[in-house]
Amino acid sequence: MDALIVIFLSGLLALFAAFAKKPALVLATASAGLIAAIALFCCQLHSGHSFIRQYEGLDFNNSFPLVFGVVVSVFALLIISVGYERFREEPEHTGEYIGLLMFSLVGAVIMTAFTDMFMFFLGLEILSIPIYVMAGSRKGDLRSNEASLKYFLTGAFATGILLFGIAWVYGATGSFNLEEITAAIASGDPKNSMLLIGILLIMSSFIFKVGAAPFHFWSPDVYDGAPYAVTGFMASVVKMAAFGAFLKIFSTCFGTPELMSFWGPALAVLTVITMFVGNLSALRQTRVKRMLAYSSITHVGYTLLVLLSGSATAEADLWFYMTSYGFSIIALITVGIVVNDPEDKIEGLKGLARRNPFVALVMFVAVLSLAGIPPTAGFFGKYMVFSNAWTNYSWLVILALVNSAISIYYYLRLIGVAVSKEETPGEKISLRPLTAIVLGICLVAMLGLGFVSNCLFSLLS
Amino acid sequence: MELLLLIIPVFFALSVLVIPQNFVRIYSLLGGIASLVLTIVIGMNYQAASGYHSIVSQEWLPNLGLTFNLGYDGISILMLSLTSGLIPIILLSNYSRELASNRTFSSMLFLMQFGLIGVFIAMDGILFYIFWEVTLIPIYLICLWFGAPERKAALMKFFIYTFFGSLFMLASLIALKAYGAKSFGITDLYAVELTAKSACWMLGGFFLAFAVKIPLFPFHTWQPDTYSKAPMAGTMLLSGIMLKMALYGMIRWMIPLFPEALACWTTPVIILGTIGILYGAILAIKQNDMKRLFAFASLSHVGLIASGIMTFDQDTLAGSMVQMINHGLVAVGLFLAADIFERRLGTRNLSDLGGIAKQAPKFAFWFAALAFASVSVPFTSGFIGEFLLIKGLYNYDWIIGVVAGTTLILGAVYTFRAYQLSMYGPVTTNAFADLSWSELLAFALIMIVIVVLGVCPQIVVGFVEPSIKNLIETVQSPTTLVP
Repeated sequence: MDALIVIFLSGLLALFAAFAKKPALVLATASAGLIAAIALFCCQLHSGHSFIRQYEGLDFNNSFPLVFGVVVSVFALLIISVGYERFREEPEHTGEYIGLLMFSLVGAVIMTAFTDMFMFFLGLEILSIPIYVMAGSRKGDLRSNEASLKYFLTGAFATGILLFGIAWVYGATGSFNLEEITAAIASGDPKNSMLLIGILLIMSSFIFKVGAAPFHFWSPDVYDGAPYAVTGFMASVVKMAAFGAFLKIFSTCFGTPELMSFWGPALAVLTVITMFVGNLSALRQTRVKRMLAYSSITHVGYTLLVLLSGSATAEADLWFYMTSYGFSIIALITVGIVVNDPEDKIEGLKGLARRNPFVALVMFVAVLSLAGIPPTAGFFGKYMVFSNAWTNYSWLVILALVNSAISIYYYLRLIGVAVSKEETPGEKISLRPLTAIVLGICLVAMLGLGFVSNCLFSLLS
Repeated sequence: MELLLLIIPVFFALSVLVIPQNFVRIYSLLGGIASLVLTIVIGMNYQAASGYHSIVSQEWLPNLGLTFNLGYDGISILMLSLTSGLIPIILLSNYSRELASNRTFSSMLFLMQFGLIGVFIAMDGILFYIFWEVTLIPIYLICLWFGAPERKAALMKFFIYTFFGSLFMLASLIALKAYGAKSFGITDLYAVELTAKSACWMLGGFFLAFAVKIPLFPFHTWQPDTYSKAPMAGTMLLSGIMLKMALYGMIRWMIPLFPEALACWTTPVIILGTIGILYGAILAIKQNDMKRLFAFASLSHVGLIASGIMTFDQDTLAGSMVQMINHGLVAVGLFLAADIFERRLGTRNLSDLGGIAKQAPKFAFWFAALAFASVSVPFTSGFIGEFLLIKGLYNYDWIIGVVAGTTLILGAVYTFRAYQLSMYGPVTTNAFADLSWSELLAFALIMIVIVVLGVCPQIVVGFVEPSIKNLIETVQSPTTLVP
């Protein structure tokens, strides 16, 4: 709870700091706030100590929101640091950009800590609304405007569906509180059709939020149109928060075997569609961000396996998978920002190994991690998810493995362009220290996370 | 001390990046020799009769069921010696070329060695998979950076093929864990009891991974393209060592893990292998490009080894071990010869070559010696290997044995056709520099080992016999906990 307040206040301060028209001050305020928040999360995780323990509808007294909170804060810190390279080009707006991202992060933290549907809805809106704005932050760019509008309209629609679903569940159980809902489901009729309709509606809005098929059409356009840093934020922070909430609601409230046999098969079918749609569409993309958007749809498909697995370690699996995915995607986003190709073509990465070997190395490892090749973190994440889903959905795991093999094609294309040596190199790329640090952190995380997963998991239990 | 096996390559892979340009090649050669010496020392200290020897065995990531289990027995040591022996030879054959002074090349070569050694000493299923995949990265980069101009499509095919195959191995491992293995440690995996049906499926997953890598007919279509587009060192690594990973995997993992399924897989695999023998040999006879010719020849040879392994009896397995060593050496030598043509003349098409024996007598001699080794004349290691393999297959089924035996005849046809067309006939070129000292040394080392093993194969056979016996016991009584 302390950390949440710190994030909010530092976001607010960042807005005021913007009056000084000094972008560096804004960045410093926000980073200080984020680092403090990370420290507070870690402190509470370690010793359980916290100044404000209780707040209506929010519960930080277990490790789940804390570990998610740490990771989303780290992601936000990294993204703000690299996004700063673009933000400071418009000194009069830097404060808004960074402030909005901080507010969105507040929503993300709430999304993993809520204990009732009302707080969950608030968190979702706090998370989404700043992103609607941020997606359109390049005002002169038509595609950025399109992204913003598309995201807002479809997002608002999905929110409506979510509210409708919550209302049905309320009708069936008589409560917004997760515990009371769980109790009501346990004591009541599990085949109550009001409840089932509610579950389906909530599930569809989640499917929309995480960008799974068949509600994925917004995501390539939005990812493509939004500025790089915002795309990175959506792919890491927003996705992680949405999945955290998804798992929380569906494993605590709707996780009984009877209900799971109801929504499980439906979600399994969606998972298959999601994986194939994402992969097959990514094969033919020529723009980096669009390709990443489709590949992220595929990753959503893999992640949905966690929800289906019903395994005891689902939370840890999800957390680890999203963390490793987040670091890889942030690394790639950083590469995109550094290369700064206005066309954003894959061909624009040509000769990256000559222009800056370090950037090429980080990109290489990031792509390997996305593809799930050992010894990167992506492999360990995939392995955890797949092996835990095997008992219930072995056929789905086989399909996911087939998809991993398909995805190699476009990942290799990316590597082949960036790493090959004979292409005519462009001018050298020099890194700003901050960007270099972010790339270094991502590199270490991608290579090291798998090997320390044991210690990480002990945090969650 | 045995951990140095893994540490030395990593150390050299990293340190070579900061060595001054002039010293890179001598430094890398030293690195290769360091590993070789270490391997020989370990081999000397190893008591063949003692069977399995553990290097490290400890918990690693218990939540994932991973253990950090490294160890070796006679079979592993043999493969380690092959790896560590071929790496210096590969460096040596590149020694007079600019590639040898390239830091990234040397670095990738050592990374490759790291992965390969890991594969041969990993005694944990997932660890094996990790090392198995790690080898893909350096070989991909070596081919991408230093390969022929039209390499990208071939490389893509290679990578997707092999990755696709190995994912099924991963699926099998996951399934095996779900069947109640305590961890992925090899003894825990051996101990899992399976029904014949599920074992058949899981063996299929491993088989796909290995069949692509070996490659067995019909999973071989990546091979000729990749071999011919890769740089010489890449081809040597692929054919000399990398495909031995898969053969080793069959011996160590595939069959002992799923003895229940052996009954339903033996015949199909042997038939595929035998088809590969004929198919590879016949295509090799028709090839014009020398590298493609040797690629198909390799397909033919490994088909025989894979078939032999599937019979899983003492003598045939020993034969397959000898033949694996032999094939590694011969393949490296032949690809070096093909590359010498290409370097000197800019072509490796048989139709453009001729009369080189007169200009380069030393080369002609060593190439001929290799050609004889390749067709397995007596007193070369190939003779022992092929004899034992064909005998094993003949005992399994006489028709298979007879068909496999044609490899000797067909092998002679394509090898000597290549030799004649390139070395004799009308002279087509006038300047052909004879071998440089490093190339000569590489050829000589290869031939010495081949002849020594051909004269006294007991060195290899005696070395691996107890380990093979252990494996066969494991297969016959799945409850025996001997790795």
